[in-house]
Amino acid sequence: MRGRAPWLILPVVGAVYIGLLAPLAVVVGVSFGPSAAFAFPPTGFTLHWFAEFFASDAYVRSFFRVSLVVGLLAGAIATLFGTAAAVGLVRFRFAGREAIETFFLAPLLVPEILLAAALYLLYARLAVQASIWTLLCGHLVICTPYVVRSVIAGLVGMDPRLEEAAMSLGATRVQAFFKVTRPLLRSSLLSGAIFAFIISFSDINLALFLSGPQSTNLPVHIFSQIQWQGDPTIAAASTLQILIIGLLILIVQRIFRLRLLV
Amino acid sequence: MASDPTPGFEVGPQLESGSTVRAPPVWAFLTGPYALFLVFLLIVPLANVALFSIHRYSPTRVALPELTFDNYRKIADLYYLRLFARTLRLGLITTLICALLGYPLAYWLARTRPRLQAVGLFLLIMPLMVSAVIRVFGWIVILGRKGLVNEALAALGLEPVRLLYTDTAVVIGLVNVFLPFMALPLMVAIERIPSNLEEAAQNLGANWHQMFRRIILPLSLPGLISGSLLVYSISISAFVTPALMGNSRERMAAQQIYDEVLVSFNWPSASSLALTLVLLTLALAFSALYVTRRAGRLERGR
Repeated sequence: MRGRAPWLILPVVGAVYIGLLAPLAVVVGVSFGPSAAFAFPPTGFTLHWFAEFFASDAYVRSFFRVSLVVGLLAGAIATLFGTAAAVGLVRFRFAGREAIETFFLAPLLVPEILLAAALYLLYARLAVQASIWTLLCGHLVICTPYVVRSVIAGLVGMDPRLEEAAMSLGATRVQAFFKVTRPLLRSSLLSGAIFAFIISFSDINLALFLSGPQSTNLPVHIFSQIQWQGDPTIAAASTLQILIIGLLILIVQRIFRLRLLV
Repeated sequence: MASDPTPGFEVGPQLESGSTVRAPPVWAFLTGPYALFLVFLLIVPLANVALFSIHRYSPTRVALPELTFDNYRKIADLYYLRLFARTLRLGLITTLICALLGYPLAYWLARTRPRLQAVGLFLLIMPLMVSAVIRVFGWIVILGRKGLVNEALAALGLEPVRLLYTDTAVVIGLVNVFLPFMALPLMVAIERIPSNLEEAAQNLGANWHQMFRRIILPLSLPGLISGSLLVYSISISAFVTPALMGNSRERMAAQQIYDEVLVSFNWPSASSLALTLVLLTLALAFSALYVTRRAGRLERGR
């Protein structure tokens, strides 16, 4: 027998989920509706706003040339940085190890808007022009901790004797890592990489400060369209992001059970 | 080097003992690149902000090479005091509502069947990962002058209400965006409480409310603390939600910083504001870390 929670819990939980999902449902509904006045529930079904999205240079550039490119690069580079750092932290003992681990996760403690302002002011002082590269550098700061955390979790749950066995059979440390450890780490690596991509792909706080006119990412473009009272193409663009992120989260859940964020 | 008495942690002791080379150790090659990267893109930018914050502002040259504490003294002005008071107040309200809504959610997630928990986690984390600007946009459609709520009121023959561009709207948006940050640590904390403790309490005659107050609340306190500080620190530095859902004249600190950096180019003043917020947040975060670590040690020591 289990401690029965009072009946009140379920309705509250239901209401909370409705509140969490309502804005997304409304956005998706508006994107398929014919009304230009954001009518919800939609009065019909049309792909008009998606056609508008793909016909708009600004939307297409922000989605394909900026958000996707920066996201994929951030995911890949953060995975390299983060995996190396995690292996160094977990598999070796040295003075100051815990301090370095805290340092590596520190970007998560700095409010994003302030990191963004700080990077903007640094770029300004060094006279660096805003581009997708300045944006990428900013994203790497906030993405890599997720990879570090994910790979540390994977390594801690793995028996180091497996590597030792490989080495006592004649493998070098590098061979042991690539032949034994890396395959076993596949799921932590993959979920770390996917999270890094998502964090970059959906970021707006850093991008507001760090992207120039030619490197506006999708969330910033959506932001300015909302401010200028744009049409439901905003909703179509949002729906595309929701779909991509929903799919990726589903994959992470399949391989890693979504415990990464906690 | 003495041989390590605990095998199983030191990988490749034969390499360790056999190496007489004074080359940097392997861990330095592994952690070095990211450490260097963070020094250049986290430490240096923050140091640069600190430097800006003690320079005198000049309308023509942004910052003069003249040291001053005026930028900090200015925070005592009524305008900035109001700004910070507002920001902290909205952050506090958001945190309270998140805790009230987060507890039932976390309890349900922690105690439900694994399959339902997986679905629940997906539905919690998916919206969290979608860009805040998109969720705020959804709320604008719902709360707007001709939005869902007002259409429903009109259908009932009632007067439309002004929901958007108010503090209420900002709090709704902030709670919506940051609730998962409260629910997740709470869920983990509640999961760690053995459910037979709850049964024991109930067998001894406690009703659900007594059980919650005497067992779940105290034992999940570390989760509540870290969740609260997380929500509080992110909501006091929120930009997108107040910028799109709030009144344009009554703003939050992040909006002021944004304007001073990108619109009025008063970088020294923006820097002092940013640093004040960072220090507030970091102090909160470290005290949270300290409290939860201590609580964890007490728990394990028992």
